[in-house]
Amino acid sequence: MSDWIAIGAMGLVGVGLPLAMMAVSALLRPSVPEQGKSATYESGEVPTGTARVQFNIQYYMVALLFLVFDIETVLIFPWTVIYRSALEQGASLATVLTPMLVFIGVLVVGLVWAWRNGAVKWVKSPQASRRKTERKDA
Amino acid sequence: MSLQAVLPDTISGLLGLEGVLGDIVGGLVGAFLVANIMLIMTAFAGPWAKRKITAAFGDRIAVNRIGPFGLLTIVTDAVRLLSKELIVPEGVDRPAWDLAPMVIPFSALLGFAVIPMGNGIQLADPETGLAFAFAAASIASLGIVMTGYASNNKFSLIGALRAVAANIAYEIPLVITAASVVIFAGSLRMSEIVAVQAEPLLTVAGVTLPTWFAFVNPFAFALFIIANLAEVGRNPFDIPEAPTEIVAGYQTEYSSVYFVLIYLGEFIHIFLGGAIAATLFLGGPAGPVLPGFVWFTIKIWAFFLFTQWARSAVPRLRVDQFLEIGWKGMLVLSFANLVLTAIIVGVIA
Repeated sequence: MSDWIAIGAMGLVGVGLPLAMMAVSALLRPSVPEQGKSATYESGEVPTGTARVQFNIQYYMVALLFLVFDIETVLIFPWTVIYRSALEQGASLATVLTPMLVFIGVLVVGLVWAWRNGAVKWVKSPQASRRKTERKDA
Repeated sequence: MSLQAVLPDTISGLLGLEGVLGDIVGGLVGAFLVANIMLIMTAFAGPWAKRKITAAFGDRIAVNRIGPFGLLTIVTDAVRLLSKELIVPEGVDRPAWDLAPMVIPFSALLGFAVIPMGNGIQLADPETGLAFAFAAASIASLGIVMTGYASNNKFSLIGALRAVAANIAYEIPLVITAASVVIFAGSLRMSEIVAVQAEPLLTVAGVTLPTWFAFVNPFAFALFIIANLAEVGRNPFDIPEAPTEIVAGYQTEYSSVYFVLIYLGEFIHIFLGGAIAATLFLGGPAGPVLPGFVWFTIKIWAFFLFTQWARSAVPRLRVDQFLEIGWKGMLVLSFANLVLTAIIVGVIA
């Protein structure tokens, strides 16, 4: 219990320190608002549109794949903790190891499927490649 | 309970406080101490050591010449960075834009709550310490998404997406490699993982090697260091920032103290990565002659120097190469390492 009180205290300090730095900076820094200063940076050009745009779907595919493996790691951890003591208490290697091998095997099959379907391959956007080809032709 | 007294107990004992009040006061004072140890290390690492190292690698003169050994650069930089004007760009998503610079250092500092630093400097030692350290370190990804989305800048958005893709691709190899160490240690408690590594492995010419898991399983150590390098986003894996491609990635629109906080968070994150690597593979604060805390500092600074060396010497990967190495290389290798470790431990035991 006292462990988690200490961790909570660290959480408080972790919020308090940034806040304190922000407060010190607010006392020190000047504020000279000017037209043009607050434009977002776009390599010195006048910014076009907002940044809330559609982006490459690839990021979504990778995130889906991550979810699967992340839950898998959560399930692997308890097994790793008891593995050695279970063996020392006389459980046979087959009983302790085989279920985990089957479990990892199922996920490896999943990874192979995703791999073959190109989920982890960075596909070029057809639109962008077309634009590049057009420019080459011109 | 843990093997030795943790820092809050020592503090409440010194103050003569008992019970929950002692826990709370001890915890707060201890957390403040640990956080300040990390702030001081970051103050040395960020404005001073990084400049010295990069200048030496590039054979050039940098902004590191004020005071003895350039150490006063730290003071001047602190004043300079805190007194800069905060420019709020148009169209930022206000609460998220202000909260993100707090989330990033918060996540890295929270991870340090369970790290054993030697000489009894350990804030907490819960049974799930290792899992907690990884979980706390992962919160930084949330902060990065907040910076990228709230900035209303295309470079920030791309940088944040890349950072998240990078973190999730290399998080699994990192955690799975750590799991292969847990098979040896049989516990997630940080102090027990350190204690297991104190046993002698073998004696060569009068020198006894301890069972540091870096000696027991060097392959896992190499995998862990590579995945760690990707997690903290340093070359060759620095695609989230990639100055020559996307300006400064997710931190493009941040100035003044907000920029300092994001940078601070990144540096503490590097040290946290080094601290987890040291605890898992290098015996934590163990070492001959010198006190534990000195060894701990040497180990995490060694990891910091390694990241700076890689930053200066190794070219950046392309984003597609980066993700293919993560998903097709590191992931498969880390699972192979886990299964092989389990089989070897099973056959020996």
